[in-house]
Amino acid sequence: MTTTRLLTAALLGAALVLSACGGDGDDAGETTVATRTVTADNGTVEVPADPQRVVTIGNTTLPLIDMGGAPVGVTDVTASELSLIPEQQKATFQAATSLGSSGDQVDMEKLAALKPDLILAQLPDSEFEQIAKQLDSIAPTLFWGLDVEWKTFAGALAEAGNVTDGLSGQQAAFTAKIATIQQTYATLIKDTSFVNVDRWASSDPGTFSIADFGCVEIAQGDIGMTFPEAAAGADPLGWTSLPFEQIAGLSKYDVITYPVDAAGRPTEPFAPVVATNTWKALPAVQSGRALGVFCPGNNSYGPVLRYLDSLDAALATLPAKE
Amino acid sequence: MSGARVDFGRRVLVLRRRRIAVRLDRRSAVVCALLTLAAAGTAALALTTGSYHLGTGQVLAALTGGETGLVHDIVVEWRLPRVAAALIFGAALGVSGAVFQSMLRNPLADPGIIGFSQGSYTGALLVILIIDGGYWQLVGGALAGGMATALAVYVLAYRRGVQGFRLIVVGIGVSAVLESLNVWLILQAELEQAMAAAAWGAGSLNGVAWDQVATGGACITVLLLVAGAASRPMRQLELGDDAAAAQGVPVSSTRLGLIVVGVALTATVTAASGPIAFISLLAPQIARRLARTAGITLVPAALTGALLCLVADYIAQHVAPTPLPVGVVTVILGGGYLGRLLFTEARRRL
Amino acid sequence: MTALALRRDDPGTVPVPGSRRRSIGLAVALGTLLLLLVLSVMVGSTAIAPSVVWDALFHPAADIDQFAIRDYRLPRTVVGLVVGVALGVAGALNQAVTRNPLADPGILGVHAGASFAVTVAVGLFGIRDIGGYLWFAFAGALIVTLMVLALGSTRQGQSPVVMVLAGVCVGAVLRGAGSALELTNPAAFDAMRSWNAGSIVGRPVDLLWPVLPFFAVALVLAVAVSGPLDAMALGDELAAAQGVRPAVTRILAIVALTLLAGGGTAIAGPIAFVGLMVPHVARWIVGPHQRWIFAYSLLLAPILLLASDILGRVVMHPSEIPVGVVTAFVGAPVLIALVRRSKASGL
Repeated sequence: MTTTRLLTAALLGAALVLSACGGDGDDAGETTVATRTVTADNGTVEVPADPQRVVTIGNTTLPLIDMGGAPVGVTDVTASELSLIPEQQKATFQAATSLGSSGDQVDMEKLAALKPDLILAQLPDSEFEQIAKQLDSIAPTLFWGLDVEWKTFAGALAEAGNVTDGLSGQQAAFTAKIATIQQTYATLIKDTSFVNVDRWASSDPGTFSIADFGCVEIAQGDIGMTFPEAAAGADPLGWTSLPFEQIAGLSKYDVITYPVDAAGRPTEPFAPVVATNTWKALPAVQSGRALGVFCPGNNSYGPVLRYLDSLDAALATLPAKE
Repeated sequence: MSGARVDFGRRVLVLRRRRIAVRLDRRSAVVCALLTLAAAGTAALALTTGSYHLGTGQVLAALTGGETGLVHDIVVEWRLPRVAAALIFGAALGVSGAVFQSMLRNPLADPGIIGFSQGSYTGALLVILIIDGGYWQLVGGALAGGMATALAVYVLAYRRGVQGFRLIVVGIGVSAVLESLNVWLILQAELEQAMAAAAWGAGSLNGVAWDQVATGGACITVLLLVAGAASRPMRQLELGDDAAAAQGVPVSSTRLGLIVVGVALTATVTAASGPIAFISLLAPQIARRLARTAGITLVPAALTGALLCLVADYIAQHVAPTPLPVGVVTVILGGGYLGRLLFTEARRRL
Repeated sequence: MTALALRRDDPGTVPVPGSRRRSIGLAVALGTLLLLLVLSVMVGSTAIAPSVVWDALFHPAADIDQFAIRDYRLPRTVVGLVVGVALGVAGALNQAVTRNPLADPGILGVHAGASFAVTVAVGLFGIRDIGGYLWFAFAGALIVTLMVLALGSTRQGQSPVVMVLAGVCVGAVLRGAGSALELTNPAAFDAMRSWNAGSIVGRPVDLLWPVLPFFAVALVLAVAVSGPLDAMALGDELAAAQGVRPAVTRILAIVALTLLAGGGTAIAGPIAFVGLMVPHVARWIVGPHQRWIFAYSLLLAPILLLASDILGRVVMHPSEIPVGVVTAFVGAPVLIALVRRSKASGL
């Protein structure tokens, strides 16, 4: 059809005019650097041994900074996430170039212009699949899906970002803290039934959840406290939002844990639960067995240590069981 | 062209190639040429703009194979397929809208009315949120969802033939159900996945690569040829069912055929990039005003669609303070333009 | 959105049932509504004995099950009733004003305005609780509807078609701007997810008090304009000949519907279909008589809303489905069945 012909002609014409004023770009000289291999969800990748310009996408940003890394480019984190991290880490985050709000909204050319030597990404598989090829053509890329276990993730991230010193210190502190808690509260841990409740900004008004993911997985898995669990193969309990009516059902547990901020106040989304008469009428709440626990994050050791401190302090307030 | 010679009252160019004839009057031809030029100019601009600074020389060298490495990748693998996708998908949406508007004789019709967009969004949401599927699964989910919805609407609206008005109402009903379902699915997802799904739902050309453009482009080319072949019965149908039937047009099967072509065009685009709103609605209307034709014409609609999509994507990437999905820009621009357009027209009429 | 340019101009084709039949129908509707009000307090995601429900209402004590009745089921029932009435009457007014049986109050920019205002409240001002959104949503709905009204006015007064189109366009622009804001602000996106679903849960009854005076004014206006609107159904000229002032009537009707739909949306979020479906069914039952349509809409809308809400409590036990999601599922089949009965209600 004529259109196609016209289009071709116009494009060719434009190309000819533009090509008259062509010039050469200069290629940056490549220097050889020491490399090593790291395994992540996208396979075994050769990365620089001592990366200088790291870009973090999705959930890799805060864990890397937590272990002492300083990325040059980052994707956004929410204001509430940012408010939970120490001042120094916040400064590191703010010094980095912002590349966009989330994984598939990354400004690729801006990323390329940063000339990174390593890209670290944690985001949903489907999102990564869309940008994998582009990332690979910029720099060696390591990717983890959202399901990766946090300790494995922290270890691989530390290795990739060459911040293993920071990591090993944190790991030692973590092991010691877990042991202390297990020793101090041995009987309590053995014969108390706990339940962890939560509410998020996205929760429908008038609903809460019995949360079985996040920091509580550490209390359950590493310390050995007993929390309700989803049946094998079923969705996590936390995915089901329960109407406030069912707060009454929490009375069958000995101790309730609920989310608080750094100052010990219920988190903003959770505050409406605490304000209900049903909550106030719960036996656990009336006998001081509802514990506010602070969870600043659960995919690197720094925030997890702060969680354990908070949990430790909370357990210490429990009155002896009659 | 069979039948009596129609006097268009204006100078007419008839172009024939094989069995497809495109009839353009002189104004339309000029408008098409200008649209093509504008699109070429915008394409050149899009190829030379980006947060990775490249000189015109570098871009040209990359296009002619004179660059390697990252510069080659940025120009040839990132910017070029995106420009190509915007042009091809825009054209497909323009034609799709033209077919629907002509068929339903309603300037506000597009495949969205038979629930296609909502249905494909539901399909895509299920793929993203439940199986966390990859690109081709997403394409499959979107297509299946859209087609199933379109079919359901058609069947529900069928009662001794399909009447335009009933089709529209049933479409609204089914769309509303799916919209609620979509809101609820988004509500159930984790934040990262919900955001990804919402970005897809807004319609985005982020990360479009050559294999997607090639697959989409091939489907679209075939469908555009079919649409071109159907343009004559389509015009006869515009005169009314009875008039068309009197001229020997099989009304029901032609309408079904047009629905299939229109939906398939939108489906291809939606599968590749999510539902990019308003282009199918606007392109035929803008084209009609530019070319000052009485009815809906396919070629100017296609070119207008291509230009609109490319310009919107340029604005979304380079003018907006942060890069946005192209669909967000088309909604804002489209709503604004449509408002002005319908508004002045309605004022004149009343 | 597409069908909005279509007009229905044949109000005379529906046979008019007698006044007695209409009164009986109204009584049946009232009975159903009362039954649903009782059911709404009795049924929930936890099993609470009827005796406890009775005690909770008439012999209040500090009992955990009684709290569930008084703090959750009673408020959501009251909120459902009030929001339902508001949306139903708003829908009836809207159909009368736009003379389009498919016009939803969402069309005049009410939902778009409220949604956008809430996105701004969440995204730019960091407001997080419903009490805070309420005024943003209400103001957003009012301002946008006034904008649509201004845009939709021609030199000859307001034209229903132009107004609907203006609503579609303003709505589109706001939706685009809203999603731009949400997609670049995960926190806003997160909060908007639940607001967009439309729900009557977790709204304390206190939230209703500031809105009720507006509703009262709007209902009085609705009754006042019902007669003139009937006259206008046959055309502005004929109405003017009967001493009706079409422009004034239309503006009053729009003010009333904006207050009702805006207030309802501000409390519950965008609830689809109630405003579209109910007046339609009402018109189908009673024929083109505004006063009757208002009366029926007033009862049928809370019936649909409460029934949907009760359904949403039980189908996904132990979780619940927001009422805004259920109404479309309940309403759409009715609409489709209606349009398949070719002649019903002028469709």
